[in-house]
Amino acid sequence: MVALVFVALGARLFYLQVIEGDNFYRMTAENIIRTVALPAQRGQIRDHKGRVLATMVPSYDVEVLPSQVTRESYDRLRALLGPDAERLLSWDAIKDEATSGKDRVLVGIKNVSREVMAQLETSLDKPGIRVVEVQRRHYPYGTLAAHAIGYLNEVSAEEVKARKDEGYVSGDTIGRAGIERQWEPYLRGQKGFEKVVVNRRGLRRTDVRIADLVTDGPIRQPPSPGNNVILTVDIDAQRIVERALRGARSAAAVVIDLDTGRILAIASKPAFDPNMMSTGPSPTMMARVLGDRLRPFRDKALSDTFNPGSTFKVITALAGLEEKVVVPEDKVKCGGFIQVGRRRFRCTKAHKTVNLYDAIVQSCNVFFYDLGSRPGMMNRMAKYAADFGFGAPTGLGLNGDQAGFVPTEEWHRARASVDKKSEGFQVGHALNTAIGEGATRATVLQMALIYATIAADGKLWLPQIVERVESPSGQVIEEFPPRVRREVSVAPEALAFLRRALYGVLYDAKGTAHKARPKHIEIAGKTGTAQVFQGGRRGGDEPPLPYERVDHAWFAGFAPAAKPRIAFAVLVEHGGHGGSVAAPVAVEIVENYFDTVVPPEERNPPRVSHRGERRLSATAEPAPKKAEAPTAQLPPPPSSRGDTPARKEPH
Amino acid sequence: MPKAVSWRKLRFRFDWTLTVAATLCLSLGLLNLWSAVRERQFNLFAQQLSWLAGGALLFLAVACFDYRIISRIGYVLYGIGIVLLVAVLVHGKVVSGSRRWFDLGAFHLQPSELMKVLTIIALAKYIHDTPSLDGRTLRHILVPLFLAGLPVLLVAGQPDLGTSLIIGLTSATVVVVARLRMKTLAGIIVAGVLAIAPLWEYALHDYQRNRVLAFINPALDPATAWQPRQAMNAVGSGRFIGKGFLQGTQIRLRSLPALWTDFPFAVWAEEWGFIGCVAVLLAYALLILWVLKIGREARDRFGITVCVGVGAMLFWQVAVNIGMVTGLLPVVGVTLPLISYGGSSALTIMLALGLVMNVSVRRFAY
Repeated sequence: MVALVFVALGARLFYLQVIEGDNFYRMTAENIIRTVALPAQRGQIRDHKGRVLATMVPSYDVEVLPSQVTRESYDRLRALLGPDAERLLSWDAIKDEATSGKDRVLVGIKNVSREVMAQLETSLDKPGIRVVEVQRRHYPYGTLAAHAIGYLNEVSAEEVKARKDEGYVSGDTIGRAGIERQWEPYLRGQKGFEKVVVNRRGLRRTDVRIADLVTDGPIRQPPSPGNNVILTVDIDAQRIVERALRGARSAAAVVIDLDTGRILAIASKPAFDPNMMSTGPSPTMMARVLGDRLRPFRDKALSDTFNPGSTFKVITALAGLEEKVVVPEDKVKCGGFIQVGRRRFRCTKAHKTVNLYDAIVQSCNVFFYDLGSRPGMMNRMAKYAADFGFGAPTGLGLNGDQAGFVPTEEWHRARASVDKKSEGFQVGHALNTAIGEGATRATVLQMALIYATIAADGKLWLPQIVERVESPSGQVIEEFPPRVRREVSVAPEALAFLRRALYGVLYDAKGTAHKARPKHIEIAGKTGTAQVFQGGRRGGDEPPLPYERVDHAWFAGFAPAAKPRIAFAVLVEHGGHGGSVAAPVAVEIVENYFDTVVPPEERNPPRVSHRGERRLSATAEPAPKKAEAPTAQLPPPPSSRGDTPARKEPH
Repeated sequence: MPKAVSWRKLRFRFDWTLTVAATLCLSLGLLNLWSAVRERQFNLFAQQLSWLAGGALLFLAVACFDYRIISRIGYVLYGIGIVLLVAVLVHGKVVSGSRRWFDLGAFHLQPSELMKVLTIIALAKYIHDTPSLDGRTLRHILVPLFLAGLPVLLVAGQPDLGTSLIIGLTSATVVVVARLRMKTLAGIIVAGVLAIAPLWEYALHDYQRNRVLAFINPALDPATAWQPRQAMNAVGSGRFIGKGFLQGTQIRLRSLPALWTDFPFAVWAEEWGFIGCVAVLLAYALLILWVLKIGREARDRFGITVCVGVGAMLFWQVAVNIGMVTGLLPVVGVTLPLISYGGSSALTIMLALGLVMNVSVRRFAY
């Protein structure tokens, strides 16, 4: 019995091991199925006209095998790299890996030049060092629009853990800012995989069919490349904007197309080099960039908010006009300041008697102090500011697109309960808000949108920076037609009055930006000089203020004045006076834009007639009767937007 | 009067064949365990070594006392075993859904393993006390049926189908060998076949049913069939001469659950091939046949029955385990004696062999 059963077992073993043994052996022996990831090509970022702003290019990395590399060959590599040697992995790090027992291949240095690659390839004696070709993100326009485009770098260990479901593994790159970050899911594509049979040493086996071993799921899945994101930005316009900012140390500017609400250019200064960021900057370079007090990584057009200063006066004026608190004919005598209690609220100078038009053209604070001090104006200003998009993100979503802030009486009262120093709502708060100081804050994009809304007769656009998404073969996957966020509830007459006054800012002899006015194209806009340091006094014989205490210079407006096509906002951080610093920048942007970017047949826009200019200059005299005169002759409300009705988007 | 033999006497009558055969088996087991655990869980090897050392002491200790003492207190020992089984059902430590273990700190005692031997002792005691010259009928086996049935049900309730099955098979073999009438045997077999359907429906757990179903039709449940398929792949890939010691990859690279307790033979077969497997079978055959030979030469029915029981226990465990590893039987948790990792299992087998040695030493007494 025992023998019988044992013989049966032996027979079974004989069958399995001797008769079928070869089959089992082939199927299982020393086979390890390894899934190899097939990387997906990241999509391109292109500008409005199809020019490539970000793409993948081949690049050369130097890999090091810690257990094989010798000190001599590593030192030779260091010598070969020259100044780049600073980016090279330290010898200690390599020894640490070699002694750790893991002995993984390390990337010694990324993105070496073709010459270094060639020399390494031809040199024979380089144990443990090899050159590998990889794909690297390349930004052909360098720092141009760097904040909007963004950059890539490797995912951190924590991110790999946190975003496991999305398939990120160590060594993958991920968008860190701008479009690269916001549109990561579209650009990234989908990694593929291939299951291969390897032996115990990790070498691929060719004598075994993988299909015999893998019974669950597919054996190979090709990667699908990422989609291309096409921006509304025109890189020519972008270059014009950034060149116009060349004199500024720290600045931001936005140009918006009034027909669509799309962003034509968006700049923040100083910028970083996305190419450097994506290939791993050297430690000293990184320390320099991070230690820069001008904050090169900050997108000052979207992520930072500023006091809008006098550029906010259009909102104050609208609130006064619409709520019938003021009529254009009302006059105020400006003696250079206004006394509220013990506090003196200053003006730039004594403007004598001014009406609303003069107050905007000459940026008279006293007029707006007077207007702001009327009962209920605080919340009325807040109401109109909110209608124009203050205090809420614009909907662009890029780089943290800040909401900004407009205070209300309630907010100041609520603050009193939290902040011991606050005394609740005071009339002084309303005075500050009326001239865009105090707690009022806005992004540069928001300011550009407010002036775009004034130029577009109350149409508040949803700003867009991505026009469409295309598949690698060029098929449109998603399109983003222009969208109107809302029509602001303001009478067209009030907006027309404002446009007239904004024209006067440049073309009235007393206008704050009169000196900056361009010759062959007409602009309308408003200067702003946002106070940074409370006690600061401008000009005079006093020594210049330290950089951090100099006021921010603003200029926001639209062009051409008669038939607006673009709106813009320029902020020069700690630049000084809006009229003399920011306005020339804006003028240069507009001039160059209409000279080079706009097609030649559209380059001669209608003008607010020379006669009109003269008369406007004439009316700048404090002559109350004539103040009404321009109303009749001002340009009709712009009608150029009639041909692009706001289309509704599917979502 | 039963007497304990002195060490001198024991050495004189020491059964070297039995010892060598057992040592051979457990040496192969240690070699195999080394290969299976050296990379990941080396401490298992040290543990097994200490258990085997303890087992050797137990083996010698049990061999020293006259087995008639054990015979006398057979039912008491059996009673203790039953109490332990009941206690483990109430207080036992739950590991992967089964209540099988007492947690004794460093050691997890599995009373069901011990019960295998205690059941044999109790059956031997009964058969010793009730001689039968003209064969046993159903009436004579009511008590053995109870003695075996109680632990079978208690162990099955843990649930531990494998051990329960071994206790049942061992007891059945003992009863059949103790002159069961052919008629009665046939009747029991018929009744057993008829009982399959209700047992299948009510007595088995879902996972147990699934294992059997997956065995009959592997495509039904790939997850359940996966384990025996991996084992079979490993066995088959050993071919004639095996991949060599420490060269097995199939088993070690995948985490086969219960590898060291239930599937050590797969590791062995992969590394040593058909030749190695035949060697193991021969070693077991030598051990089992020698145990049965001792039984034939024993001086009383208790000795005979103990040897038949231990031989049957060894035989069924080997047959079921290897059958399951080679895909002949569905997967039930049965250990390979002396080769499988596990303290309770090793100690139980050593205890059993100690009894056999005891019988062997005293075959010429009086």
